[in-house]
Amino acid sequence: MAWGTLSLLILQSTFAETLNVTVVLSEEGGAYREFSDSLRSRLEKQNILLNVIAMNQPVGDSDLIIAVGMKAATALATFKSVAIFNVFIPKEGYNKLQHDFPKRAVSFSAIYLDQPIERQLDLIAAALPNLHHIGILYATPPNDLNTVRQKALERKMTLHEQIVSPATGLSVALQELLRKSEVILALPDAEIYNAATIRNILLASYRANVPIIGFSSSFVRAGGLCAVFSTPTQIAGQTASVINQFSETHILPAAQYAHEFEVLVNMQVTRSLNLSIPPPAELYSEIRRKQ
Amino acid sequence: MDNSTKVARQTINVPSLLRGRSIFLLQLVSIILPISAFAANNTLSEQDILQEFPVVLSASRLFQPLSEAPNAMTVIDRDMIKASGFRSIADLFRLVPGMYVGDLDGHTPIVAYHGSTDQYSRRMQVLVDGRSVYLPPFSSVDWEDIPLHIADIERIEVVRGPAAASHGSNSLHGVINIITREAASLDSTRISATRGEGGVSDMAAHFGKNSTDLDFRVTLGYRADNGYDSAAMNDSSATRLANLRANYHPNSEDSFDLQLGYSEVSRGLGVAGREDENLFRDTWTSSDFQQLTWLHAFPQGDEVKVLYYHIHRSVKDNAPRGTAPQYNTPDNTKVERHDLELQHSTELGANNRLIWGTGVRSDAVESQLNLTIPQSLYQSRFFVHDEWRMTSSALLNAGAMYENDGMGHSNTSPRLAFNYHFMPQQTVRVSTSVAYRSPATVEENSNSPGELVSIGGLRPERVFSKEIGYLGEFSQLGLSINARLYADQVSDMIFIDPLLTGWPPTSLKPYSFANLLSANFRGFESTVKYHWGDNTSVIVNYARQMMDCEITGQLTYTFLQPSLQEIADQCTSSVPWNSGSFLLAQQVAHDLTFSAGYYYQSELQFVGTSAPQSRMQRLDLRVAQAFGEKEKSGGGEISFVVQNVLQDNYTNYSAVPQTNNILFNRRAYLTATINF
Repeated sequence: MAWGTLSLLILQSTFAETLNVTVVLSEEGGAYREFSDSLRSRLEKQNILLNVIAMNQPVGDSDLIIAVGMKAATALATFKSVAIFNVFIPKEGYNKLQHDFPKRAVSFSAIYLDQPIERQLDLIAAALPNLHHIGILYATPPNDLNTVRQKALERKMTLHEQIVSPATGLSVALQELLRKSEVILALPDAEIYNAATIRNILLASYRANVPIIGFSSSFVRAGGLCAVFSTPTQIAGQTASVINQFSETHILPAAQYAHEFEVLVNMQVTRSLNLSIPPPAELYSEIRRKQ
Repeated sequence: MDNSTKVARQTINVPSLLRGRSIFLLQLVSIILPISAFAANNTLSEQDILQEFPVVLSASRLFQPLSEAPNAMTVIDRDMIKASGFRSIADLFRLVPGMYVGDLDGHTPIVAYHGSTDQYSRRMQVLVDGRSVYLPPFSSVDWEDIPLHIADIERIEVVRGPAAASHGSNSLHGVINIITREAASLDSTRISATRGEGGVSDMAAHFGKNSTDLDFRVTLGYRADNGYDSAAMNDSSATRLANLRANYHPNSEDSFDLQLGYSEVSRGLGVAGREDENLFRDTWTSSDFQQLTWLHAFPQGDEVKVLYYHIHRSVKDNAPRGTAPQYNTPDNTKVERHDLELQHSTELGANNRLIWGTGVRSDAVESQLNLTIPQSLYQSRFFVHDEWRMTSSALLNAGAMYENDGMGHSNTSPRLAFNYHFMPQQTVRVSTSVAYRSPATVEENSNSPGELVSIGGLRPERVFSKEIGYLGEFSQLGLSINARLYADQVSDMIFIDPLLTGWPPTSLKPYSFANLLSANFRGFESTVKYHWGDNTSVIVNYARQMMDCEITGQLTYTFLQPSLQEIADQCTSSVPWNSGSFLLAQQVAHDLTFSAGYYYQSELQFVGTSAPQSRMQRLDLRVAQAFGEKEKSGGGEISFVVQNVLQDNYTNYSAVPQTNNILFNRRAYLTATINF
């Protein structure tokens, strides 16, 4: 009899340890699918039930929801009774969600998709130590502009800011910035950097002999000099750790940047601009060293 | 900003999980969602970071850095053009080591590399945006009537050494590749005016507009001066030019570039004391071109370029040109060129870039005076060039051009270069190449009785070039060095073969041409660039040149061979022993710049000229004051240029004794530019 109760208790506690995690993907395929596949393989051994669904599917009973992308994050932010962990969202997007959906009873957190400004500036310092005039473009000032200014100052870099207004247009703003900058740091903003504008931006800066630091592998392949970015696999790894921690404590860590990242360099652009840049592995260690 | 990004922003689907919840919540969500849907359009989304960008700077679009180019190259950029203060495009080549820039008169510059045998510097290929402006019948470049304004030049790449393999035929000694500013480079209006001594009077208006798919820029220019302002020569000129460059890029793969240009030049000709053959008079040249380039970029990085252009040039020199009877005929020349070229660049694996192409050209020349019947030439060419990155520090460039020159010659010009980066930013280059110059129409087909009568049957001139070069970048010091040693052998050089009149001869004329000489050119060239902070930059060029000739052919009248030997001996003085330049650009204050250019050339005398050119030591100064906001409406600049400040007045290229002593004096001019 006691054995039966014991086994039942054991069974109960085993059941109690199984965590229901639902991953909601904003889009099908691509980086989103890469993330969920990678997450699944990282969680294979634990007692975690992973359910990956698309936007228009029912969520079902979950202990933790992983919202992948702003669309899923925005739709699911209304869920006040389930812990939600957001990935693939920019820091500004997360801040906006927090602002729009305050007073959550349960945990709400994220891994930001964009890179911390320190990491990007450290990349510039490691790759182009002789260049100090950094240019940035924006249509509306980014929320963390003061942080950007401060971090640049700390690294003895002179930050040149150029506003893109509808009146003057992108071309004129870019030409103005190219005059003052030795290197341009592209801050993700689809209003400025998109498939339609990237051609003129890359050609104009190439002609002016000014390299552009990008924010993704695609940007670097297009003609950016180099970039730091976090891959879906790396974010999945970090998410898996968060899930494991949550399965024990039922608490999500504070919103954070991705710990892991990659450095990619466009060798052809490097050579053509006659720049001598350390290999990606060295750049990576240099950035890591400073963090 | 156009919001039509590649990724469509979809409306948010309300998940079915909301079914069964309170209506109030549903309504709340319905209210909130549209706002956040709107907000999601404006605030960041991960798509800003994850979006796919098309490849823009593909391998074919990237300029080869100087340290990986198969030839020695000099790049003249806009900063140098401004600092030099030059008004005329030909003067810019004073900033290239080993280049000779002279004037036959106020409107006929001579630009030659490794010396020249007459005023028609025909041993260099000259391209403007891929369009060859090296035209029959003299196979020369007329610098003053190319419909191109100096302010529209983006950069000039000068290849010092034969580059037929990549730049086409007739680049025997080198290539000048002028690249104009892109259609998108100007999005405003700019007007400038220049006034100065010697009748200098220029005006220009530049206007441009950018939009998402279409950019264009237009230039209208007028340039006039009195030339050397000497009583000995009539060499004033006035040029009117207009050009348009438009670029249509409907998507990230295709780009269509259209250029149209027109120029009209009136020039004075005539030498005092030579009225029998060269009366004071005015002549007219009109020139126009149309050019269309289609660039298509494939997703994997390949690129295809199709280029078509048409050039028309017409020169009218009406009678009487001189008082002697044979000069009582007009000298009118007309040239029409059509050229079509296809080029494909691709990557064969990660370490190999290949570019190949083919082209056809037709030249139709009419010259009443020199050719009995109009001549038509059909030329075709095929070229291939491969860049093989053997290791990360060793690069092999190999290429060749096959050309059928329409005169019965088929030439193959190969080139091989090996670049080795023995340390980061330190490179050694070893290269060798062969190139040909096809005979000029007037050399092969002239029929101007008493003046030029070609026997014909000329072989192309051939050069075999060897060089070793060094490039070093010392970025910590702000210093870069570019130097080379070369040995070029030219064989079958075409020179005048006098056919004599009468017996005993009363005149050396008429002239024919024959393959008579071989020449050896050896020398050293170097360029040192130095940056000191953000405000000071210095470029120093130096060249040491040596030349000697040998007779390898026979004149029609062999008793004249000794005078040919005299000419061959003159070869040595045909190139300056020392030559160089020094250009300093200094940003004195936020809106004030100062630049100084010093140009040196030892005494030299071209073969066949009547007197040596004296040593040139010339200092040019420029001061510019900007006002208003740079390149914004209401902004602009006033600049003052003085050429030959120290008044070291030197003589120039002189074809006849009467022009031996015409000096290049000090001259000054003021330019004002305003932006709208």
